[in-house]
Amino acid sequence: MSLLNRYRATRHLSDDVFADLWSTEATTGQPVVNPHLSDCAQCRTRYANFTDWLDRIQDDALAEADEAFPPERLAAQQAQVMRRLEGLERPARVIAFPHFSRPVTSTQGHAQRWVAAAAAAGLVIGLVAGQLFDVRHLLSTPRGPVATQTARLTTPPQINSGNAVVLPASLPSVSDETLFFGGDPAHATGRLSMLQSIDDITPRARDIDLPR
Amino acid sequence: MTGAQAAGLPTREADSAAASAVKAMQAEGRHAEARERYAELVARHQRRAARIAFHYLRDSAEADEAVQDALVKAYSHLSSFREELPFEVWFTRILINGCLDRIKARTRRERWLVPMPESPVGQRDFTERVASVGPSPEDQLLGRERRQKLAMALSRLPERQRSVFMLSHYQGCTSREVSAMTGLNESTVRVHLFRAIRRLRTLLAEDGASIGVGGEKRRVTS
Repeated sequence: MSLLNRYRATRHLSDDVFADLWSTEATTGQPVVNPHLSDCAQCRTRYANFTDWLDRIQDDALAEADEAFPPERLAAQQAQVMRRLEGLERPARVIAFPHFSRPVTSTQGHAQRWVAAAAAAGLVIGLVAGQLFDVRHLLSTPRGPVATQTARLTTPPQINSGNAVVLPASLPSVSDETLFFGGDPAHATGRLSMLQSIDDITPRARDIDLPR
Repeated sequence: MTGAQAAGLPTREADSAAASAVKAMQAEGRHAEARERYAELVARHQRRAARIAFHYLRDSAEADEAVQDALVKAYSHLSSFREELPFEVWFTRILINGCLDRIKARTRRERWLVPMPESPVGQRDFTERVASVGPSPEDQLLGRERRQKLAMALSRLPERQRSVFMLSHYQGCTSREVSAMTGLNESTVRVHLFRAIRRLRTLLAEDGASIGVGGEKRRVTS
Protein backbone atom coordinates (compact mmCIF):
# COMPACT_ATOMS: atom_id res chain seq x y z
CA MET A 1 0.00 0.00 0.00
CA SER A 2 1.38 3.35 -0.97
CA LEU A 3 1.87 6.13 1.52
CA LEU A 4 -1.01 8.14 0.01
CA ASN A 5 -3.40 5.21 0.18
CA ARG A 6 -2.33 4.46 3.75
CA TYR A 7 -3.01 8.11 4.63
CA ARG A 8 -6.41 7.95 2.96
CA ALA A 9 -7.29 4.74 4.79
CA THR A 10 -6.52 6.22 8.19
CA ARG A 11 -8.34 9.50 7.47
CA HIS A 12 -12.01 9.74 8.51
CA LEU A 13 -14.59 9.91 5.76
CA SER A 14 -16.25 13.16 4.83
CA ASP A 15 -19.93 13.77 4.05
CA ASP A 16 -19.10 13.87 0.37
CA VAL A 17 -17.73 10.35 0.56
CA PHE A 18 -20.87 9.25 2.41
CA ALA A 19 -23.02 10.85 -0.28
CA ASP A 20 -21.01 9.11 -2.96
CA LEU A 21 -21.25 5.75 -1.18
CA TRP A 22 -24.95 6.10 -0.59
CA SER A 23 -25.79 7.28 -4.12
CA THR A 24 -23.80 4.40 -5.62
CA GLU A 25 -25.65 1.94 -3.40
CA ALA A 26 -29.01 3.52 -4.21
CA THR A 27 -28.54 3.60 -7.96
CA THR A 28 -26.96 0.18 -8.37
CA GLY A 29 -28.85 -1.58 -5.64
CA GLN A 30 -25.60 -3.27 -4.56
CA PRO A 31 -23.86 -2.67 -1.19
CA VAL A 32 -20.60 -0.79 -1.56
CA VAL A 33 -17.60 -1.95 0.46
CA ASN A 34 -15.30 0.73 1.84
CA PRO A 35 -12.20 -0.51 3.74
CA HIS A 36 -12.11 2.46 6.09
CA LEU A 37 -15.80 2.18 6.88
CA SER A 38 -15.48 -1.44 7.90
CA ASP A 39 -12.50 -0.62 10.16
CA CYS A 40 -13.54 2.70 11.73
CA ALA A 41 -16.39 2.58 14.25
CA GLN A 42 -16.68 6.38 14.35
CA CYS A 43 -17.21 6.62 10.59
CA ARG A 44 -19.66 3.72 10.69
CA THR A 45 -21.72 5.59 13.26
CA ARG A 46 -21.57 8.78 11.18
CA TYR A 47 -22.58 6.89 8.06
CA ALA A 48 -25.49 5.33 9.93
CA ASN A 49 -26.58 8.84 11.01
CA PHE A 50 -26.25 9.97 7.41
CA THR A 51 -28.46 7.17 6.09
CA ASP A 52 -30.95 7.82 8.93
CA TRP A 53 -31.13 11.45 7.86
CA LEU A 54 -31.91 10.42 4.29
CA ASP A 55 -34.49 7.88 5.50
CA ARG A 56 -36.19 10.57 7.56
CA ILE A 57 -36.33 12.80 4.50
CA GLN A 58 -37.94 9.97 2.55
CA ASP A 59 -40.45 9.22 5.31
CA ASP A 60 -41.41 12.89 5.62
CA ALA A 61 -41.82 13.34 1.89
CA LEU A 62 -43.92 10.21 1.48
CA ALA A 63 -46.01 11.01 4.54
CA GLU A 64 -46.71 14.48 3.19
CA ALA A 65 -47.80 13.11 -0.19
CA ASP A 66 -49.96 10.42 1.39
CA GLU A 67 -51.57 13.02 3.62
CA ALA A 68 -52.52 15.00 0.52
CA PHE A 69 -53.93 11.88 -1.14
CA PRO A 70 -55.98 9.85 1.35
CA PRO A 71 -57.62 6.61 0.11
CA GLU A 72 -60.97 8.38 -0.47
CA ARG A 73 -59.35 10.86 -2.79
CA LEU A 74 -57.57 8.11 -4.68
CA ALA A 75 -60.88 6.25 -5.08
CA ALA A 76 -62.53 9.40 -6.43
CA GLN A 77 -59.59 9.91 -8.76
CA GLN A 78 -59.88 6.37 -10.09
CA ALA A 79 -63.61 6.81 -10.71
CA GLN A 80 -62.93 10.05 -12.53
CA VAL A 81 -60.26 8.41 -14.69
CA MET A 82 -62.68 5.60 -15.60
CA ARG A 83 -65.36 8.13 -16.54
CA ARG A 84 -62.92 9.96 -18.76
CA LEU A 85 -61.89 6.71 -20.43
CA GLU A 86 -65.54 5.87 -21.15
CA GLY A 87 -65.97 9.33 -22.59
CA LEU A 88 -63.05 8.76 -24.95
CA GLU A 89 -64.86 5.94 -26.71
CA ARG A 90 -68.18 7.71 -27.13
CA PRO A 91 -68.62 9.70 -30.32
CA ALA A 92 -68.55 13.44 -29.95
CA ARG A 93 -71.92 14.82 -28.89
CA VAL A 94 -73.38 17.60 -30.99
CA ILE A 95 -75.09 20.16 -28.83
CA ALA A 96 -78.14 21.62 -30.57
CA PHE A 97 -78.28 25.36 -30.92
CA PRO A 98 -80.73 26.79 -28.39
CA HIS A 99 -84.27 27.12 -29.84
CA PHE A 100 -86.38 30.24 -29.70
CA SER A 101 -88.60 30.49 -26.67
CA ARG A 102 -91.65 30.65 -28.96
CA PRO A 103 -91.86 28.14 -31.76
CA VAL A 104 -91.75 29.71 -35.20
CA THR A 105 -94.61 28.48 -37.43
CA SER A 106 -94.65 28.43 -41.20
CA THR A 107 -97.61 30.88 -41.46
CA GLN A 108 -95.57 33.49 -39.63
CA GLY A 109 -92.82 32.99 -42.13
CA HIS A 110 -95.27 33.67 -44.97
CA ALA A 111 -96.58 36.78 -43.22
CA GLN A 112 -93.06 38.11 -42.81
CA ARG A 113 -92.40 37.60 -46.50
CA TRP A 114 -95.63 39.46 -47.40
CA VAL A 115 -94.72 42.36 -45.16
CA ALA A 116 -91.31 42.67 -46.81
CA ALA A 117 -92.83 42.48 -50.31
CA ALA A 118 -95.44 45.13 -49.42
CA ALA A 119 -92.75 47.45 -48.06
CA ALA A 120 -90.72 47.09 -51.25
CA ALA A 121 -93.78 47.66 -53.43
CA GLY A 122 -94.68 50.76 -51.40
CA LEU A 123 -91.20 52.14 -51.93
CA VAL A 124 -91.37 51.61 -55.69
CA ILE A 125 -94.85 53.13 -55.93
CA GLY A 126 -93.71 56.13 -53.92
CA LEU A 127 -90.74 56.74 -56.22
CA VAL A 128 -92.87 56.46 -59.36
CA ALA A 129 -95.53 58.76 -57.91
CA GLY A 130 -92.87 61.29 -57.00
CA GLN A 131 -91.56 61.32 -60.54
CA LEU A 132 -95.06 61.70 -62.02
CA PHE A 133 -95.87 64.58 -59.69
CA ASP A 134 -92.74 66.46 -60.80
CA VAL A 135 -93.58 65.96 -64.45
CA ARG A 136 -97.14 67.20 -63.94
CA HIS A 137 -95.86 70.20 -61.99
CA LEU A 138 -93.56 71.09 -64.86
CA LEU A 139 -96.36 70.70 -67.36
CA SER A 140 -98.78 72.89 -65.38
CA THR A 141 -96.28 75.83 -65.00
CA PRO A 142 -97.16 78.65 -67.49
CA ARG A 143 -94.42 79.65 -69.93
CA GLY A 144 -93.49 83.29 -69.11
CA PRO A 145 -90.83 85.51 -70.59
CA VAL A 146 -88.09 83.86 -68.52
CA ALA A 147 -89.11 80.49 -69.79
CA THR A 148 -89.21 81.90 -73.28
CA GLN A 149 -85.80 83.42 -72.87
CA THR A 150 -84.44 80.26 -71.32
CA ALA A 151 -85.89 78.27 -74.17
CA ARG A 152 -84.34 80.71 -76.52
CA LEU A 153 -80.97 80.40 -74.77
CA THR A 154 -81.06 76.68 -74.90
CA THR A 155 -81.32 76.72 -78.67
CA PRO A 156 -77.96 75.91 -80.17
CA PRO A 157 -76.07 79.09 -81.15
CA GLN A 158 -75.19 79.66 -84.72
CA ILE A 159 -71.49 79.47 -85.07
CA ASN A 160 -69.70 80.95 -88.03
CA SER A 161 -67.17 79.02 -89.85
CA GLY A 162 -64.53 81.62 -88.77
CA ASN A 163 -62.50 81.57 -85.52
CA ALA A 164 -64.63 84.08 -83.56
CA VAL A 165 -67.59 82.76 -81.62
CA VAL A 166 -70.71 84.80 -82.18
CA LEU A 167 -73.25 85.07 -79.37
CA PRO A 168 -76.93 85.06 -80.15
CA ALA A 169 -78.18 88.52 -80.97
CA SER A 170 -81.18 88.39 -78.61
CA LEU A 171 -79.09 87.88 -75.44
CA PRO A 172 -78.17 91.52 -74.70
CA SER A 173 -81.80 92.59 -75.00
CA VAL A 174 -82.74 90.77 -71.75
CA SER A 175 -82.86 93.42 -69.04
CA ASP A 176 -82.23 92.86 -65.33
CA GLU A 177 -85.79 93.87 -64.44
CA THR A 178 -87.11 91.30 -66.86
CA LEU A 179 -84.93 88.63 -65.37
CA PHE A 180 -85.75 89.52 -61.74
CA PHE A 181 -89.45 90.36 -61.94
CA GLY A 182 -90.64 88.10 -64.72
CA GLY A 183 -91.49 90.85 -67.17
CA ASP A 184 -94.46 92.37 -65.26
CA PRO A 185 -93.80 96.12 -65.61
CA ALA A 186 -96.45 97.25 -63.07
CA HIS A 187 -95.14 94.90 -60.47
CA ALA A 188 -91.56 95.89 -61.25
CA THR A 189 -92.34 99.62 -60.93
CA GLY A 190 -93.91 99.18 -57.47
CA ARG A 191 -91.02 97.14 -56.25
CA LEU A 192 -88.50 99.55 -57.73
CA SER A 193 -90.07 102.59 -56.08
CA MET A 194 -90.00 100.78 -52.75
CA LEU A 195 -86.35 99.89 -53.24
CA GLN A 196 -85.62 103.42 -54.37
CA SER A 197 -86.92 104.89 -51.11
CA ILE A 198 -84.78 102.45 -49.12
CA ASP A 199 -81.83 103.39 -51.27
CA ASP A 200 -82.35 107.09 -50.54
CA ILE A 201 -82.10 106.70 -46.79
CA THR A 202 -79.09 104.40 -46.93
CA PRO A 203 -75.83 106.36 -46.30
CA ARG A 204 -73.09 105.95 -48.84
CA ALA A 205 -69.45 105.48 -48.05
CA ARG A 206 -68.39 108.54 -49.95
CA ASP A 207 -70.73 110.75 -47.85
CA ILE A 208 -69.17 109.73 -44.58
CA ASP A 209 -66.07 111.57 -43.43
CA LEU A 210 -64.01 109.08 -41.60
CA PRO A 211 -61.38 110.49 -39.21
CA ARG A 212 -57.90 109.84 -40.50
CA MET B 1 -55.59 -10.79 -8.75
CA THR B 2 -54.61 -10.74 -12.39
CA GLY B 3 -53.67 -13.76 -14.40
CA ALA B 4 -50.00 -12.85 -14.49
CA GLN B 5 -49.82 -12.35 -10.73
CA ALA B 6 -51.60 -15.61 -10.20
CA ALA B 7 -48.99 -17.28 -12.36
CA GLY B 8 -46.31 -15.95 -9.98
CA LEU B 9 -44.85 -13.33 -12.26
CA PRO B 10 -43.15 -10.35 -10.59
CA THR B 11 -45.23 -7.17 -10.41
CA ARG B 12 -43.37 -5.33 -13.16
CA GLU B 13 -43.72 -8.17 -15.59
CA ALA B 14 -47.34 -8.52 -14.57
CA ASP B 15 -47.85 -4.83 -15.32
CA SER B 16 -46.27 -5.13 -18.74
CA ALA B 17 -48.37 -8.22 -19.46
CA ALA B 18 -51.52 -6.39 -18.38
CA ALA B 19 -50.63 -3.38 -20.54
CA SER B 20 -50.05 -5.66 -23.53
CA ALA B 21 -53.38 -7.38 -22.90
CA VAL B 22 -55.19 -4.02 -22.76
CA LYS B 23 -53.46 -3.00 -25.98
CA ALA B 24 -54.64 -6.19 -27.69
CA MET B 25 -58.20 -5.69 -26.43
CA GLN B 26 -58.22 -2.14 -27.74
CA ALA B 27 -57.06 -3.36 -31.13
CA GLU B 28 -59.86 -5.93 -31.20
CA GLY B 29 -62.43 -3.34 -30.24
CA ARG B 30 -63.24 -4.90 -26.84
CA HIS B 31 -63.20 -1.55 -25.11
CA ALA B 32 -65.23 -2.42 -22.02
CA GLU B 33 -62.90 -5.32 -21.21
CA ALA B 34 -59.86 -3.15 -21.94
CA ARG B 35 -61.09 -0.53 -19.51
CA GLU B 36 -61.77 -3.11 -16.85
CA ARG B 37 -58.27 -4.52 -17.19
CA TYR B 38 -56.74 -1.07 -17.26
CA ALA B 39 -58.50 -0.25 -13.98
CA GLU B 40 -56.22 -2.81 -12.31
CA LEU B 41 -53.16 -0.99 -13.59
CA VAL B 42 -54.61 2.32 -12.45
CA ALA B 43 -55.19 0.97 -8.95
CA ARG B 44 -51.63 -0.34 -8.74
CA HIS B 45 -49.87 2.80 -9.97
CA GLN B 46 -52.16 5.50 -8.69
CA ARG B 47 -50.56 6.11 -5.29
CA ARG B 48 -47.04 6.11 -6.63
CA ALA B 49 -48.08 8.48 -9.42
CA ALA B 50 -49.79 10.79 -6.94
CA ARG B 51 -46.63 10.95 -4.82
CA ILE B 52 -44.44 11.78 -7.79
CA ALA B 53 -46.83 14.42 -9.10
CA PHE B 54 -47.22 15.95 -5.65
CA HIS B 55 -43.46 16.20 -5.15
CA TYR B 56 -43.09 17.86 -8.51
CA LEU B 57 -46.01 20.27 -8.30
CA ARG B 58 -46.38 20.80 -4.52
CA ASP B 59 -50.13 21.28 -5.00
CA SER B 60 -52.55 18.45 -4.42
CA ALA B 61 -55.27 19.63 -6.81
CA GLU B 62 -52.84 20.13 -9.63
CA ALA B 63 -51.13 16.82 -8.86
CA ASP B 64 -54.54 15.12 -8.99
CA GLU B 65 -55.20 16.56 -12.45
CA ALA B 66 -51.71 15.64 -13.64
CA VAL B 67 -52.17 12.01 -12.54
CA GLN B 68 -55.58 11.79 -14.23
CA ASP B 69 -54.23 13.28 -17.44
CA ALA B 70 -51.27 10.90 -17.44
CA LEU B 71 -53.48 7.84 -16.86
CA VAL B 72 -55.88 8.84 -19.63
CA LYS B 73 -53.02 9.67 -21.98
CA ALA B 74 -51.32 6.34 -21.26
CA TYR B 75 -54.56 4.49 -22.07
CA SER B 76 -55.20 6.35 -25.30
CA HIS B 77 -51.56 5.95 -26.44
CA LEU B 78 -51.17 2.36 -25.34
CA SER B 79 -50.69 1.35 -28.97
CA SER B 80 -47.23 2.98 -28.82
CA PHE B 81 -46.25 1.05 -25.68
CA ARG B 82 -43.30 -1.29 -26.25
CA GLU B 83 -43.31 -4.52 -24.28
CA GLU B 84 -39.55 -4.54 -23.66
CA LEU B 85 -39.88 -1.44 -21.46
CA PRO B 86 -41.63 -1.83 -18.08
CA PHE B 87 -45.07 -0.19 -18.04
CA GLU B 88 -44.10 1.63 -14.84
CA VAL B 89 -41.16 3.34 -16.54
CA TRP B 90 -43.18 4.24 -19.65
CA PHE B 91 -46.05 5.62 -17.60
CA THR B 92 -43.77 7.54 -15.22
CA ARG B 93 -42.15 9.24 -18.18
CA ILE B 94 -45.58 10.40 -19.39
CA LEU B 95 -46.39 11.64 -15.90
CA ILE B 96 -43.10 13.51 -15.44
CA ASN B 97 -43.44 15.21 -18.82
CA GLY B 98 -46.96 16.29 -17.88
CA CYS B 99 -45.74 17.65 -14.54
CA LEU B 100 -42.91 19.56 -16.19
CA ASP B 101 -45.35 21.06 -18.70
CA ARG B 102 -47.57 22.17 -15.84
CA ILE B 103 -44.63 23.73 -14.01
CA LYS B 104 -43.70 25.65 -17.16
CA ALA B 105 -47.29 26.82 -17.64
CA ARG B 106 -47.49 27.85 -13.99
CA THR B 107 -44.26 29.83 -14.25
CA ARG B 108 -45.62 31.64 -17.31
CA ARG B 109 -48.91 32.32 -15.49
CA GLU B 110 -47.25 33.58 -12.33
CA ARG B 111 -45.29 36.08 -14.34
CA TRP B 112 -48.55 37.97 -14.93
CA LEU B 113 -50.28 37.41 -11.60
CA VAL B 114 -49.81 39.19 -8.31
CA PRO B 115 -49.70 36.68 -5.41
CA MET B 116 -52.57 36.82 -2.95
CA PRO B 117 -51.64 38.08 0.52
CA GLU B 118 -51.27 35.30 3.05
CA SER B 119 -53.85 34.90 5.78
CA PRO B 120 -52.98 36.70 9.02
CA VAL B 121 -50.99 34.86 11.66
CA GLY B 122 -53.20 32.83 13.94
CA GLN B 123 -56.07 32.63 11.46
CA ARG B 124 -56.27 29.05 10.29
CA ASP B 125 -58.37 27.11 7.84
CA PHE B 126 -61.47 25.36 9.10
CA THR B 127 -59.93 21.97 8.31
CA GLU B 128 -56.98 22.73 10.58
CA ARG B 129 -59.29 23.59 13.46
CA VAL B 130 -61.12 20.25 13.39
CA ALA B 131 -59.97 17.91 16.17
CA SER B 132 -58.17 14.77 15.03
CA VAL B 133 -56.96 11.55 16.57
CA GLY B 134 -53.50 11.69 14.95
CA PRO B 135 -50.22 12.95 16.38
CA SER B 136 -50.18 15.75 18.95
CA PRO B 137 -50.35 19.35 17.74
CA GLU B 138 -46.72 19.86 18.73
CA ASP B 139 -45.58 16.88 16.67
CA GLN B 140 -47.72 18.00 13.78
CA LEU B 141 -46.22 21.47 13.96
CA LEU B 142 -42.67 20.16 14.08
CA GLY B 143 -43.34 17.74 11.28
CA ARG B 144 -44.92 20.45 9.16
CA GLU B 145 -42.00 22.75 9.79
CA ARG B 146 -39.51 20.04 8.88
CA ARG B 147 -41.40 19.24 5.68
CA GLN B 148 -41.57 22.88 4.75
CA LYS B 149 -37.81 23.21 5.17
CA LEU B 150 -37.24 20.09 3.15
CA ALA B 151 -39.60 21.24 0.41
CA MET B 152 -37.87 24.61 0.36
CA ALA B 153 -34.46 22.98 0.10
CA LEU B 154 -35.69 20.64 -2.64
CA SER B 155 -37.14 23.54 -4.58
CA ARG B 156 -33.73 25.19 -4.56
CA LEU B 157 -32.15 22.21 -6.30
CA PRO B 158 -31.73 22.33 -10.07
CA GLU B 159 -34.57 20.55 -11.88
CA ARG B 160 -32.55 17.51 -12.96
CA GLN B 161 -31.03 16.97 -9.53
CA ARG B 162 -34.48 17.22 -7.98
CA SER B 163 -35.98 14.73 -10.43
CA VAL B 164 -33.18 12.24 -9.94
CA PHE B 165 -33.28 12.57 -6.16
CA MET B 166 -37.05 12.11 -5.98
CA LEU B 167 -37.13 9.14 -8.31
CA SER B 168 -34.09 7.42 -6.80
CA HIS B 169 -34.74 8.10 -3.17
CA TYR B 170 -38.50 8.49 -2.80
CA GLN B 171 -39.52 5.91 -5.40
CA GLY B 172 -36.53 3.59 -5.03
CA CYS B 173 -35.73 3.49 -8.75
CA THR B 174 -32.36 2.26 -9.97
CA SER B 175 -30.11 4.43 -12.12
CA ARG B 176 -31.17 2.49 -15.22
CA GLU B 177 -34.85 3.16 -14.49
CA VAL B 178 -34.25 6.82 -13.72
CA SER B 179 -32.26 7.03 -16.93
CA ALA B 180 -35.18 5.58 -18.91
CA MET B 181 -37.66 7.88 -17.17
CA THR B 182 -35.72 11.09 -17.51
CA GLY B 183 -33.71 10.45 -20.65
CA LEU B 184 -30.42 11.07 -18.82
CA ASN B 185 -27.35 8.91 -19.02
CA GLU B 186 -26.89 6.39 -16.19
CA SER B 187 -23.59 7.88 -15.05
CA THR B 188 -25.18 11.35 -15.21
CA VAL B 189 -27.94 10.08 -12.97
CA ARG B 190 -25.41 9.02 -10.36
CA VAL B 191 -23.62 12.36 -10.53
CA HIS B 192 -26.90 14.24 -10.18
CA LEU B 193 -27.91 12.12 -7.20
CA PHE B 194 -24.58 12.69 -5.49
CA ARG B 195 -24.77 16.44 -6.08
CA ALA B 196 -28.38 16.60 -4.93
CA ILE B 197 -27.57 14.92 -1.62
CA ARG B 198 -24.54 17.12 -1.03
CA ARG B 199 -26.51 20.27 -1.82
CA LEU B 200 -29.48 19.22 0.32
CA ARG B 201 -27.16 18.58 3.24
CA THR B 202 -25.68 22.05 2.89
CA LEU B 203 -29.05 23.76 2.46
CA LEU B 204 -30.67 22.02 5.42
CA ALA B 205 -27.64 22.71 7.59
CA GLU B 206 -27.85 26.39 6.60
CA ASP B 207 -31.51 26.47 7.56
CA GLY B 208 -30.64 24.90 10.91
CA ALA B 209 -33.03 22.04 10.35
CA SER B 210 -33.71 19.91 13.38
CA ILE B 211 -32.50 16.74 11.79
CA GLY B 212 -29.06 16.65 13.31
CA VAL B 213 -27.26 17.84 10.21
CA GLY B 214 -25.26 20.58 11.89
CA GLY B 215 -23.41 18.34 14.29
CA GLU B 216 -22.60 15.75 11.66
CA LYS B 217 -21.51 18.29 9.11
CA ARG B 218 -18.15 19.07 10.65
CA ARG B 219 -15.29 17.29 9.05
CA VAL B 220 -13.40 14.95 11.31
CA THR B 221 -9.78 14.35 10.53
CA SER B 222 -7.36 12.24 12.47
